[in-house]
Amino acid sequence: MSSSKSPNPSNNDPVRVFTVLFGKEIKAFFLSPIAYVVLALVMVINGFSFKAAMTILETAPGDGGLVRFTFNAPWFWLSYFFIFPLVTMRLFAEEQKLGTLEALLTAPVRTGQLVAAKYLAALVFYCILWLPSLANFYIFQWITAGAGDIRPGELLGSYSILFLMGMFNLSIGCFSSSLSSNQIIAAILGFTLSLMHFLLGTFALDLAQNVDQSLKNIVQYFASAYHSRMFAAGVLDSRPAIYYATATALILFVTHQVVEFRRWRT
Amino acid sequence: MIEVRQLTKRYVGRTAVDAISFRVEKGEIVGFLGPNGAGKTTTMRMLTGYLPPTAGTASIGGFDIFKDSLKTRAMIGYMPEDVPLYHDMRVKEYLNFRARLKGLRGRDARMAVGEAMDKCGVTEVRKKMIRSLSKGFRQRVGLADALVAKPALLILDEPTNGLDPNQIRQVRELIRELGENHTILLSTHILSEVEMTCGRVIIINRGKLCAADKPDKLVDQMRTAGLVEMEIKANPKVAEGVLEKIPAVKRVAHNGTDDEGWERFSLRVEANADARVQIHAAVVREGWPLRELHRRMASLEDVFVEITQSEQ
Repeated sequence: MSSSKSPNPSNNDPVRVFTVLFGKEIKAFFLSPIAYVVLALVMVINGFSFKAAMTILETAPGDGGLVRFTFNAPWFWLSYFFIFPLVTMRLFAEEQKLGTLEALLTAPVRTGQLVAAKYLAALVFYCILWLPSLANFYIFQWITAGAGDIRPGELLGSYSILFLMGMFNLSIGCFSSSLSSNQIIAAILGFTLSLMHFLLGTFALDLAQNVDQSLKNIVQYFASAYHSRMFAAGVLDSRPAIYYATATALILFVTHQVVEFRRWRT
Repeated sequence: MIEVRQLTKRYVGRTAVDAISFRVEKGEIVGFLGPNGAGKTTTMRMLTGYLPPTAGTASIGGFDIFKDSLKTRAMIGYMPEDVPLYHDMRVKEYLNFRARLKGLRGRDARMAVGEAMDKCGVTEVRKKMIRSLSKGFRQRVGLADALVAKPALLILDEPTNGLDPNQIRQVRELIRELGENHTILLSTHILSEVEMTCGRVIIINRGKLCAADKPDKLVDQMRTAGLVEMEIKANPKVAEGVLEKIPAVKRVAHNGTDDEGWERFSLRVEANADARVQIHAAVVREGWPLRELHRRMASLEDVFVEITQSEQ
Protein backbone atom coordinates (compact mmCIF):
# COMPACT_ATOMS: atom_id res chain seq x y z
CA MET A 1 0.00 0.00 0.00
CA SER A 2 1.57 3.27 -1.02
CA SER A 3 1.75 5.73 1.81
CA SER A 4 1.48 8.53 -0.73
CA LYS A 5 -2.20 7.78 -0.95
CA SER A 6 -2.75 8.80 2.62
CA PRO A 7 -3.58 12.50 2.86
CA ASN A 8 -1.10 13.18 5.61
CA PRO A 9 2.41 13.39 4.23
CA SER A 10 3.45 15.62 7.13
CA ASN A 11 3.08 12.82 9.65
CA ASN A 12 6.72 12.69 10.45
CA ASP A 13 6.97 16.30 11.52
CA PRO A 14 7.87 15.71 15.17
CA VAL A 15 7.51 19.34 16.23
CA ARG A 16 3.95 19.51 14.94
CA VAL A 17 2.85 16.40 16.78
CA PHE A 18 4.41 17.87 19.89
CA THR A 19 2.59 21.18 19.38
CA VAL A 20 -0.77 19.46 18.97
CA LEU A 21 -0.24 17.43 22.14
CA PHE A 22 1.09 20.43 24.05
CA GLY A 23 -1.90 22.52 23.06
CA LYS A 24 -4.27 19.84 24.25
CA GLU A 25 -2.49 19.56 27.60
CA ILE A 26 -2.44 23.31 28.23
CA LYS A 27 -6.13 23.49 27.40
CA ALA A 28 -6.83 20.59 29.73
CA PHE A 29 -5.14 22.49 32.56
CA PHE A 30 -7.29 25.53 32.21
CA LEU A 31 -10.49 23.57 31.73
CA SER A 32 -10.02 21.48 34.85
CA PRO A 33 -11.30 22.76 38.19
CA ILE A 34 -8.13 21.54 39.89
CA ALA A 35 -6.16 24.24 38.10
CA TYR A 36 -8.16 26.96 39.80
CA VAL A 37 -7.96 25.26 43.17
CA VAL A 38 -4.18 25.18 42.84
CA LEU A 39 -4.08 28.78 41.68
CA ALA A 40 -6.17 29.82 44.68
CA LEU A 41 -3.98 27.74 46.99
CA VAL A 42 -0.82 29.37 45.72
CA MET A 43 -2.31 32.83 46.07
CA VAL A 44 -3.35 32.11 49.65
CA ILE A 45 0.11 30.79 50.52
CA ASN A 46 1.67 33.86 49.03
CA GLY A 47 -0.66 36.11 50.90
CA PHE A 48 0.21 34.55 54.22
CA SER A 49 3.92 34.41 53.46
CA PHE A 50 3.83 38.02 52.40
CA LYS A 51 2.10 39.04 55.59
CA ALA A 52 4.56 37.00 57.66
CA ALA A 53 7.44 38.73 55.89
CA MET A 54 5.98 42.14 56.61
CA THR A 55 5.58 41.25 60.28
CA ILE A 56 9.20 40.18 60.47
CA LEU A 57 10.38 43.38 58.83
CA GLU A 58 8.22 45.41 61.17
CA THR A 59 9.25 43.76 64.43
CA ALA A 60 12.77 42.57 63.82
CA PRO A 61 14.26 44.03 60.69
CA GLY A 62 17.43 42.17 59.93
CA ASP A 63 19.57 41.22 57.05
CA GLY A 64 17.38 41.00 53.96
CA GLY A 65 14.39 42.49 52.20
CA LEU A 66 10.76 41.70 51.72
CA VAL A 67 11.18 39.11 48.95
CA ARG A 68 13.69 37.10 50.90
CA PHE A 69 11.49 36.87 53.97
CA THR A 70 8.44 36.05 51.91
CA PHE A 71 9.99 32.97 50.36
CA ASN A 72 11.63 31.83 53.55
CA ALA A 73 8.45 32.02 55.62
CA PRO A 74 7.41 28.72 57.21
CA TRP A 75 3.99 29.26 55.66
CA PHE A 76 5.57 28.98 52.33
CA TRP A 77 7.37 25.69 52.82
CA LEU A 78 4.40 24.20 54.58
CA SER A 79 2.32 24.30 51.47
CA TYR A 80 4.80 24.47 48.63
CA PHE A 81 5.01 20.72 48.11
CA PHE A 82 1.26 20.34 47.73
CA ILE A 83 1.43 22.15 44.43
CA PHE A 84 3.27 19.46 42.49
CA PRO A 85 1.03 16.45 43.03
CA LEU A 86 -2.02 18.60 42.29
CA VAL A 87 -0.53 19.79 39.03
CA THR A 88 0.91 16.49 37.82
CA MET A 89 -1.17 13.63 39.24
CA ARG A 90 -3.59 13.73 36.33
CA LEU A 91 -1.04 13.64 33.51
CA PHE A 92 -0.51 9.95 32.84
CA ALA A 93 -2.77 8.36 35.46
CA GLU A 94 -5.91 9.69 33.84
CA GLU A 95 -4.89 8.56 30.37
CA GLN A 96 -4.23 5.11 31.69
CA LYS A 97 -7.52 4.94 33.54
CA LEU A 98 -9.55 6.13 30.56
CA GLY A 99 -7.58 3.95 28.15
CA THR A 100 -6.82 6.98 26.01
CA LEU A 101 -3.13 6.19 26.24
CA GLU A 102 -3.83 3.36 23.81
CA ALA A 103 -5.55 5.75 21.43
CA LEU A 104 -2.62 8.19 21.68
CA LEU A 105 0.14 5.66 21.23
CA THR A 106 -1.50 3.88 18.32
CA ALA A 107 -1.62 7.18 16.45
CA PRO A 108 1.69 8.20 14.86
CA VAL A 109 2.96 9.65 18.15
CA ARG A 110 6.29 8.93 19.81
CA THR A 111 6.35 8.33 23.54
CA GLY A 112 9.00 11.03 23.86
CA GLN A 113 6.72 13.62 22.27
CA LEU A 114 3.98 12.70 24.69
CA VAL A 115 6.19 12.92 27.77
CA ALA A 116 7.70 16.22 26.62
CA ALA A 117 4.29 17.75 25.84
CA LYS A 118 2.82 16.77 29.18
CA TYR A 119 5.84 17.87 31.17
CA LEU A 120 6.25 21.23 29.45
CA ALA A 121 2.54 21.98 29.74
CA ALA A 122 2.81 21.34 33.49
CA LEU A 123 5.89 23.59 33.67
CA VAL A 124 4.16 26.42 31.84
CA PHE A 125 1.16 26.13 34.12
CA TYR A 126 3.45 26.14 37.14
CA CYS A 127 5.13 29.34 35.96
CA ILE A 128 1.76 30.99 35.51
CA LEU A 129 0.91 30.08 39.10
CA TRP A 130 3.59 32.48 40.36
CA LEU A 131 2.58 35.52 38.37
CA PRO A 132 0.07 36.78 40.98
CA SER A 133 2.78 36.63 43.66
CA LEU A 134 4.89 38.92 41.57
CA ALA A 135 1.96 41.33 41.53
CA ASN A 136 2.01 41.30 45.35
CA PHE A 137 5.42 42.90 45.39
CA TYR A 138 4.67 45.46 42.73
CA ILE A 139 1.39 46.48 44.31
CA PHE A 140 3.19 46.85 47.62
CA GLN A 141 5.81 48.96 45.97
CA TRP A 142 3.14 51.08 44.36
CA ILE A 143 1.13 51.59 47.57
CA THR A 144 4.18 52.54 49.58
CA ALA A 145 5.33 54.81 46.78
CA GLY A 146 8.62 52.96 46.39
CA ALA A 147 9.44 52.84 50.09
CA GLY A 148 9.11 49.05 50.19
CA ASP A 149 12.33 47.17 50.50
CA ILE A 150 12.25 45.19 47.26
CA ARG A 151 15.72 44.18 46.12
CA PRO A 152 16.08 43.13 42.48
CA GLY A 153 18.72 40.53 43.34
CA GLU A 154 16.44 38.82 45.80
CA LEU A 155 13.57 38.96 43.34
CA LEU A 156 15.59 37.41 40.55
CA GLY A 157 17.12 34.79 42.85
CA SER A 158 13.83 33.81 44.44
CA TYR A 159 12.02 33.33 41.18
CA SER A 160 14.99 31.50 39.66
CA ILE A 161 15.05 28.98 42.47
CA LEU A 162 11.26 28.63 42.35
CA PHE A 163 11.62 27.78 38.68
CA LEU A 164 14.49 25.37 39.19
CA MET A 165 12.90 23.53 42.10
CA GLY A 166 9.58 23.50 40.29
CA MET A 167 11.18 22.01 37.21
CA PHE A 168 12.66 19.24 39.30
CA ASN A 169 9.60 18.48 41.43
CA LEU A 170 7.28 18.52 38.43
CA SER A 171 9.39 15.83 36.82
CA ILE A 172 8.98 13.77 39.99
CA GLY A 173 5.23 14.32 39.74
CA CYS A 174 5.23 13.26 36.09
CA PHE A 175 7.15 10.15 36.96
CA SER A 176 4.77 9.25 39.79
CA SER A 177 1.78 9.74 37.54
CA SER A 178 3.24 7.39 34.95
CA LEU A 179 3.50 4.64 37.56
CA SER A 180 -0.16 4.40 38.45
CA SER A 181 -3.57 4.62 36.87
CA ASN A 182 -4.90 5.95 40.14
CA GLN A 183 -4.51 9.70 40.54
CA ILE A 184 -4.58 9.60 44.33
CA ILE A 185 -1.76 7.07 44.46
CA ALA A 186 0.19 9.11 41.94
CA ALA A 187 -0.32 12.25 44.05
CA ILE A 188 0.74 10.63 47.32
CA LEU A 189 3.78 9.04 45.72
CA GLY A 190 4.84 12.29 44.09
CA PHE A 191 4.31 14.25 47.30
CA THR A 192 6.34 11.76 49.32
CA LEU A 193 9.23 11.70 46.87
CA SER A 194 9.39 15.49 46.60
CA LEU A 195 9.19 15.99 50.33
CA MET A 196 11.74 13.27 50.98
CA HIS A 197 14.22 14.94 48.69
CA PHE A 198 13.68 18.24 50.42
CA LEU A 199 13.79 16.93 53.99
CA LEU A 200 16.78 14.66 53.41
CA GLY A 201 18.64 17.69 52.13
CA THR A 202 17.59 19.72 55.15
CA PHE A 203 18.57 17.04 57.68
CA ALA A 204 21.83 16.33 55.94
CA LEU A 205 22.56 20.04 56.03
CA ASP A 206 22.02 20.10 59.79
CA LEU A 207 24.14 17.03 60.37
CA ALA A 208 26.93 18.21 58.11
CA GLN A 209 27.04 21.52 59.96
CA ASN A 210 29.32 20.05 62.62
CA VAL A 211 31.42 17.85 60.37
CA ASP A 212 34.15 18.86 57.98
CA GLN A 213 33.85 21.25 55.07
CA SER A 214 34.14 18.71 52.22
CA LEU A 215 31.06 16.81 53.40
CA LYS A 216 29.19 20.07 53.76
CA ASN A 217 30.01 20.94 50.16
CA ILE A 218 28.55 17.67 48.94
CA VAL A 219 25.36 18.10 50.95
CA GLN A 220 24.98 21.65 49.76
CA TYR A 221 25.01 20.38 46.22
CA PHE A 222 21.63 18.71 46.56
CA ALA A 223 20.01 20.41 49.59
CA SER A 224 17.04 22.39 48.32
CA ALA A 225 16.73 24.26 51.61
CA TYR A 226 20.25 25.58 51.17
CA HIS A 227 19.67 26.52 47.54
CA SER A 228 16.51 28.41 48.31
CA ARG A 229 18.16 30.27 51.15
CA MET A 230 21.07 31.31 48.98
CA PHE A 231 19.02 32.25 45.95
CA ALA A 232 16.47 34.19 48.01
CA ALA A 233 19.39 36.20 49.41
CA GLY A 234 20.23 37.07 45.85
CA VAL A 235 23.19 34.73 45.48
CA LEU A 236 22.73 33.09 42.09
CA ASP A 237 24.78 29.97 41.59
CA SER A 238 25.08 27.82 38.48
CA ARG A 239 25.69 24.57 40.38
CA PRO A 240 22.12 24.13 41.63
CA ALA A 241 20.87 25.06 38.15
CA ILE A 242 22.95 22.25 36.66
CA TYR A 243 21.91 19.90 39.44
CA TYR A 244 18.18 20.47 38.90
CA ALA A 245 18.44 20.41 35.11
CA THR A 246 20.28 17.09 35.01
CA ALA A 247 18.09 15.52 37.68
CA THR A 248 14.99 16.61 35.75
CA ALA A 249 16.33 15.18 32.52
CA LEU A 250 17.13 11.91 34.23
CA ILE A 251 13.72 11.58 35.84
CA LEU A 252 11.95 12.42 32.58
CA PHE A 253 14.03 9.81 30.82
CA VAL A 254 12.93 7.25 33.41
CA THR A 255 9.32 8.41 32.95
CA HIS A 256 9.68 7.82 29.23
CA GLN A 257 10.95 4.32 29.90
CA VAL A 258 8.07 3.62 32.28
CA VAL A 259 5.49 4.63 29.67
CA GLU A 260 7.28 2.51 27.08
CA PHE A 261 7.60 -0.39 29.47
CA ARG A 262 3.88 -0.36 30.27
CA ARG A 263 3.31 -0.59 26.57
CA TRP A 264 5.64 -3.54 26.48
CA ARG A 265 3.69 -5.61 28.91
CA THR A 266 0.10 -4.57 29.68
CA MET B 1 -2.32 -5.18 3.23
CA ILE B 2 -1.73 -7.16 6.40
CA GLU B 3 0.62 -10.06 6.58
CA VAL B 4 0.98 -11.86 9.88
CA ARG B 5 3.62 -14.55 10.33
CA GLN B 6 3.83 -16.73 13.43
CA LEU B 7 2.78 -13.82 15.61
CA THR B 8 3.07 -14.72 19.29
CA LYS B 9 2.43 -12.88 22.53
CA ARG B 10 3.41 -14.52 25.78
CA TYR B 11 2.78 -13.15 29.24
CA VAL B 12 4.21 -14.68 32.36
CA GLY B 13 2.63 -18.11 32.59
CA ARG B 14 0.21 -17.57 29.74
CA THR B 15 0.30 -17.47 25.98
CA ALA B 16 -2.27 -14.99 24.75
CA VAL B 17 -1.54 -15.38 21.05
CA ASP B 18 0.16 -18.50 19.83
CA ALA B 19 1.98 -18.37 16.51
CA ILE B 20 -0.86 -17.23 14.31
CA SER B 21 -0.38 -16.45 10.65
CA PHE B 22 -2.83 -14.92 8.22
CA ARG B 23 -3.10 -12.43 5.41
CA VAL B 24 -5.60 -9.73 4.68
CA GLU B 25 -5.67 -8.51 1.10
CA LYS B 26 -6.32 -4.93 0.09
CA GLY B 27 -10.02 -4.12 -0.01
CA GLU B 28 -11.16 -7.08 2.06
CA ILE B 29 -13.47 -6.91 5.05
CA VAL B 30 -12.28 -9.58 7.43
CA GLY B 31 -14.08 -10.66 10.56
CA PHE B 32 -11.94 -11.70 13.45
CA LEU B 33 -13.86 -14.13 15.62
CA GLY B 34 -13.22 -15.90 18.85
CA PRO B 35 -14.65 -16.38 22.31
CA ASN B 36 -13.84 -13.76 24.96
CA GLY B 37 -10.19 -14.02 25.93
CA ALA B 38 -9.21 -15.79 22.73
CA GLY B 39 -6.54 -13.21 21.91
CA LYS B 40 -8.38 -10.96 19.47
CA THR B 41 -7.64 -7.72 21.27
CA THR B 42 -4.04 -8.70 21.91
CA THR B 43 -3.54 -9.44 18.22
CA MET B 44 -5.06 -6.10 17.26
CA ARG B 45 -2.92 -4.28 19.80
CA MET B 46 0.16 -5.85 18.30
CA LEU B 47 -0.89 -4.87 14.79
CA THR B 48 -1.48 -1.27 15.87
CA GLY B 49 1.91 -1.07 17.58
CA TYR B 50 0.57 -0.78 21.12
CA LEU B 51 2.06 -4.09 22.20
CA PRO B 52 5.22 -5.64 20.85
CA PRO B 53 5.05 -9.28 19.77
CA THR B 54 7.03 -11.81 21.78
CA ALA B 55 7.88 -13.65 18.59
CA GLY B 56 6.94 -13.60 14.94
CA THR B 57 6.41 -10.65 12.65
CA ALA B 58 3.66 -8.76 10.96
CA SER B 59 3.70 -6.16 8.28
CA ILE B 60 1.18 -3.63 7.14
CA GLY B 61 1.42 -2.26 3.63
CA GLY B 62 4.87 -3.81 3.42
CA PHE B 63 6.20 -2.09 6.55
CA ASP B 64 7.13 -4.02 9.66
CA ILE B 65 4.84 -3.19 12.58
CA PHE B 66 7.74 -3.08 15.00
CA LYS B 67 10.59 -1.54 13.04
CA ASP B 68 8.50 0.97 11.10
CA SER B 69 5.90 1.46 13.78
CA LEU B 70 5.25 5.12 13.02
CA LYS B 71 4.75 4.43 9.32
CA THR B 72 2.35 1.58 9.90
CA ARG B 73 0.47 3.50 12.57
CA ALA B 74 -0.03 6.33 10.08
CA MET B 75 -1.77 3.86 7.78
CA ILE B 76 -4.15 2.50 10.39
CA GLY B 77 -7.37 3.88 11.79
CA TYR B 78 -7.81 2.00 15.03
CA MET B 79 -10.84 1.86 17.26
CA PRO B 80 -9.83 0.23 20.54
CA GLU B 81 -12.18 -1.92 22.56
CA ASP B 82 -14.58 0.11 24.73
CA VAL B 83 -13.69 3.27 22.80
CA PRO B 84 -11.52 5.33 25.13
CA LEU B 85 -12.34 9.05 24.82
CA TYR B 86 -11.60 12.20 26.81
CA HIS B 87 -14.75 12.89 28.79
CA ASP B 88 -14.25 16.61 29.11
CA MET B 89 -13.83 17.41 25.45
CA ARG B 90 -16.50 18.24 22.95
CA VAL B 91 -17.05 15.86 20.06
CA LYS B 92 -15.80 18.19 17.35
CA GLU B 93 -12.92 19.38 19.49
CA TYR B 94 -11.85 15.80 20.11
CA LEU B 95 -12.02 14.81 16.46
CA ASN B 96 -10.15 17.95 15.53
CA PHE B 97 -7.41 17.06 18.01
CA ARG B 98 -7.21 13.53 16.64
CA ALA B 99 -7.14 14.69 13.03
CA ARG B 100 -4.29 17.11 13.72
CA LEU B 101 -2.45 14.47 15.71
CA LYS B 102 -2.66 12.23 12.67
CA GLY B 103 -1.03 14.91 10.54
CA LEU B 104 -3.91 16.83 8.99
CA ARG B 105 -3.76 20.61 9.22
CA GLY B 106 -5.98 23.64 9.09
CA ARG B 107 -8.64 23.43 6.41
CA ASP B 108 -7.86 19.80 5.56
CA ALA B 109 -8.39 18.84 9.18
CA ARG B 110 -11.67 20.75 9.43
CA MET B 111 -12.99 19.20 6.24
CA ALA B 112 -11.93 15.69 7.23
CA VAL B 113 -13.60 16.12 10.62
CA GLY B 114 -16.79 17.36 8.99
CA GLU B 115 -16.81 14.42 6.60
CA ALA B 116 -16.15 11.86 9.29
CA MET B 117 -18.85 13.34 11.51
CA ASP B 118 -21.34 13.19 8.66
CA LYS B 119 -20.46 9.62 7.80
CA CYS B 120 -20.82 8.43 11.37
CA GLY B 121 -23.88 10.51 12.15
CA VAL B 122 -22.42 12.54 14.99
CA THR B 123 -22.80 15.99 13.40
CA GLU B 124 -25.86 16.71 15.55
CA VAL B 125 -23.89 16.16 18.77
CA ARG B 126 -20.69 17.88 17.66
CA LYS B 127 -20.91 20.54 20.37
CA LYS B 128 -21.77 18.15 23.18
CA MET B 129 -19.38 17.05 25.87
CA ILE B 130 -18.31 13.47 25.34
CA ARG B 131 -19.18 12.60 28.96
CA SER B 132 -22.83 13.36 28.24
CA LEU B 133 -23.06 11.11 25.16
CA SER B 134 -24.84 7.77 25.10
CA LYS B 135 -22.88 4.60 24.45
CA GLY B 136 -24.08 4.51 20.85
CA PHE B 137 -22.82 7.99 20.12
CA ARG B 138 -19.50 7.35 21.84
CA GLN B 139 -19.06 4.30 19.67
CA ARG B 140 -19.70 6.40 16.61
CA VAL B 141 -17.29 9.10 17.76
CA GLY B 142 -14.68 6.35 18.09
CA LEU B 143 -15.45 5.21 14.59
CA ALA B 144 -15.23 8.78 13.28
CA ASP B 145 -11.83 9.06 14.96
CA ALA B 146 -10.67 5.84 13.31
CA LEU B 147 -11.54 7.02 9.82
CA VAL B 148 -10.87 10.74 10.09
CA ALA B 149 -7.44 10.65 8.47
CA LYS B 150 -8.73 8.38 5.68
CA PRO B 151 -6.44 5.50 6.57
CA ALA B 152 -5.96 2.64 4.13
CA LEU B 153 -6.69 0.13 6.86
CA LEU B 154 -9.32 0.18 9.58
CA ILE B 155 -8.88 -2.02 12.63
CA LEU B 156 -12.03 -2.07 14.72
CA ASP B 157 -12.17 -3.91 18.02
CA GLU B 158 -15.80 -4.87 18.66
CA PRO B 159 -17.35 -1.89 16.92
CA THR B 160 -20.91 -2.89 17.84
CA ASN B 161 -20.24 -3.86 21.43
CA GLY B 162 -22.97 -2.55 23.71
CA LEU B 163 -25.18 -1.08 21.03
CA ASP B 164 -28.90 -1.68 20.63
CA PRO B 165 -30.20 -3.56 17.57
CA ASN B 166 -30.97 -0.40 15.62
CA GLN B 167 -27.54 1.04 16.27
CA ILE B 168 -25.93 -2.26 15.38
CA ARG B 169 -27.70 -2.16 12.06
CA GLN B 170 -26.53 1.40 11.42
CA VAL B 171 -22.94 0.60 12.29
CA ARG B 172 -23.08 -2.52 10.12
CA GLU B 173 -24.33 -0.44 7.19
CA LEU B 174 -21.55 2.04 7.80
CA ILE B 175 -18.91 -0.67 7.88
CA ARG B 176 -20.17 -2.15 4.64
CA GLU B 177 -20.06 1.30 3.07
CA LEU B 178 -16.55 1.91 4.36
CA GLY B 179 -15.50 -1.44 2.96
CA GLU B 180 -15.83 0.01 -0.51
CA ASN B 181 -12.62 1.96 -0.16
CA HIS B 182 -10.95 0.67 2.97
CA THR B 183 -9.47 -2.60 4.06
CA ILE B 184 -11.17 -3.57 7.31
CA LEU B 185 -10.26 -5.98 10.06
CA LEU B 186 -12.97 -6.12 12.70
CA SER B 187 -13.39 -8.28 15.73
CA THR B 188 -16.70 -9.27 17.18
CA HIS B 189 -18.52 -12.12 18.74
CA ILE B 190 -21.81 -11.34 17.10
CA LEU B 191 -21.90 -13.88 14.32
CA SER B 192 -24.80 -12.60 12.31
CA GLU B 193 -22.83 -9.41 11.94
CA VAL B 194 -19.93 -11.25 10.37
CA GLU B 195 -22.14 -13.22 8.02
CA MET B 196 -23.64 -10.00 6.78
CA THR B 197 -20.58 -7.80 6.46
CA CYS B 198 -17.42 -9.81 6.13
CA GLY B 199 -15.98 -11.38 3.02
CA ARG B 200 -13.76 -13.62 5.07
CA VAL B 201 -13.59 -14.92 8.61
CA ILE B 202 -10.67 -15.74 10.83
CA ILE B 203 -11.54 -17.73 13.92
CA ILE B 204 -9.12 -17.95 16.80
CA ASN B 205 -9.47 -19.80 20.08
CA ARG B 206 -7.09 -19.78 23.03
CA GLY B 207 -4.58 -17.86 21.00
CA LYS B 208 -4.52 -20.35 18.15
CA LEU B 209 -5.81 -19.88 14.65
CA CYS B 210 -8.64 -22.37 14.06
CA ALA B 211 -10.07 -21.47 10.69
CA ALA B 212 -9.78 -18.83 8.03
CA ASP B 213 -12.15 -18.87 5.09
CA LYS B 214 -15.24 -17.32 3.55
CA PRO B 215 -18.22 -17.61 5.90
CA ASP B 216 -20.29 -19.67 3.46
CA LYS B 217 -17.40 -22.06 2.84
CA LEU B 218 -17.02 -22.65 6.55
CA VAL B 219 -20.73 -23.31 6.77
CA ASP B 220 -20.54 -25.70 3.81
CA GLN B 221 -17.84 -27.75 5.45
CA MET B 222 -20.04 -27.94 8.47
CA ARG B 223 -23.09 -28.90 6.49
CA THR B 224 -21.43 -31.90 4.93
CA ALA B 225 -20.71 -33.16 8.39
CA GLY B 226 -24.38 -32.62 9.11
CA LEU B 227 -26.73 -32.49 11.97
CA VAL B 228 -30.10 -34.27 12.09
CA GLU B 229 -32.81 -33.46 14.58
CA MET B 230 -35.71 -35.72 15.43
CA GLU B 231 -38.59 -36.14 17.83
CA ILE B 232 -39.90 -39.58 18.77
CA LYS B 233 -41.78 -41.28 21.57
CA ALA B 234 -39.58 -43.95 23.08
CA ASN B 235 -37.55 -44.78 26.11
CA PRO B 236 -34.60 -42.42 25.71
CA LYS B 237 -32.00 -44.97 26.93
CA VAL B 238 -33.21 -47.65 24.55
CA ALA B 239 -33.55 -45.19 21.68
CA GLU B 240 -30.01 -43.93 22.19
CA GLY B 241 -28.71 -47.49 21.99
CA VAL B 242 -30.61 -48.22 18.80
CA LEU B 243 -29.71 -44.97 17.10
CA GLU B 244 -26.02 -45.31 17.89
CA LYS B 245 -25.94 -48.64 16.05
CA ILE B 246 -26.90 -46.97 12.76
CA PRO B 247 -23.67 -46.88 10.73
CA ALA B 248 -24.00 -43.30 9.47
CA VAL B 249 -24.66 -41.86 12.94
CA LYS B 250 -21.57 -40.61 14.74
CA ARG B 251 -22.97 -39.16 17.89
CA VAL B 252 -26.35 -39.09 19.61
CA ALA B 253 -27.46 -36.39 22.00
CA HIS B 254 -30.69 -36.48 23.94
CA ASN B 255 -32.06 -32.97 24.21
CA GLY B 256 -34.84 -33.55 26.69
CA THR B 257 -38.52 -34.34 26.76
CA ASP B 258 -41.35 -31.95 26.04
CA ASP B 259 -44.65 -31.71 27.93
CA GLU B 260 -46.39 -34.25 25.75
CA GLY B 261 -43.68 -36.86 26.17
CA TRP B 262 -41.85 -36.39 22.88
CA GLU B 263 -38.16 -37.09 23.15
CA ARG B 264 -35.89 -34.75 21.25
CA PHE B 265 -32.63 -36.02 19.80
CA SER B 266 -29.94 -34.42 17.75
CA LEU B 267 -27.61 -36.66 15.80
CA ARG B 268 -24.30 -35.83 14.29
CA VAL B 269 -24.05 -37.86 11.15
CA GLU B 270 -21.38 -38.87 8.69
CA ALA B 271 -20.47 -36.58 5.85
CA ASN B 272 -21.60 -37.41 2.31
CA ALA B 273 -24.34 -39.76 3.46
CA ASP B 274 -27.94 -38.92 4.02
CA ALA B 275 -28.57 -40.72 7.26
CA ARG B 276 -32.22 -39.74 7.42
CA VAL B 277 -33.40 -42.79 5.45
CA GLN B 278 -31.51 -45.16 7.73
CA ILE B 279 -32.79 -43.39 10.83
CA HIS B 280 -36.33 -43.58 9.56
CA ALA B 281 -35.98 -47.28 8.82
CA ALA B 282 -34.74 -47.91 12.37
CA VAL B 283 -37.61 -45.92 13.88
CA VAL B 284 -40.17 -47.90 11.80
CA ARG B 285 -38.53 -51.17 12.77
CA GLU B 286 -38.83 -50.29 16.47
CA GLY B 287 -42.39 -49.03 15.99
CA TRP B 288 -41.75 -45.65 17.66
CA PRO B 289 -44.10 -42.79 16.84
CA LEU B 290 -42.11 -40.23 14.83
CA ARG B 291 -43.14 -36.59 14.66
CA GLU B 292 -40.14 -34.84 13.22
CA LEU B 293 -37.02 -35.71 11.30
CA HIS B 294 -35.04 -32.99 9.61
CA ARG B 295 -31.56 -31.94 8.70
CA ARG B 296 -30.50 -28.78 10.36
CA MET B 297 -28.93 -26.15 8.14
CA ALA B 298 -25.67 -25.22 9.78
CA SER B 299 -25.09 -21.58 10.52
CA LEU B 300 -21.89 -19.73 11.18
CA GLU B 301 -22.83 -20.03 14.81
CA ASP B 302 -22.63 -23.83 14.56
CA VAL B 303 -19.23 -23.53 12.95
CA PHE B 304 -18.09 -21.20 15.67
CA VAL B 305 -19.35 -23.42 18.48
CA GLU B 306 -18.01 -26.56 16.84
CA ILE B 307 -14.56 -25.12 16.25
CA THR B 308 -14.09 -23.33 19.53
CA GLN B 309 -15.54 -26.04 21.73
CA SER B 310 -14.03 -29.10 20.13
CA GLU B 311 -10.61 -27.73 20.97
CA GLN B 312 -11.27 -27.41 24.64
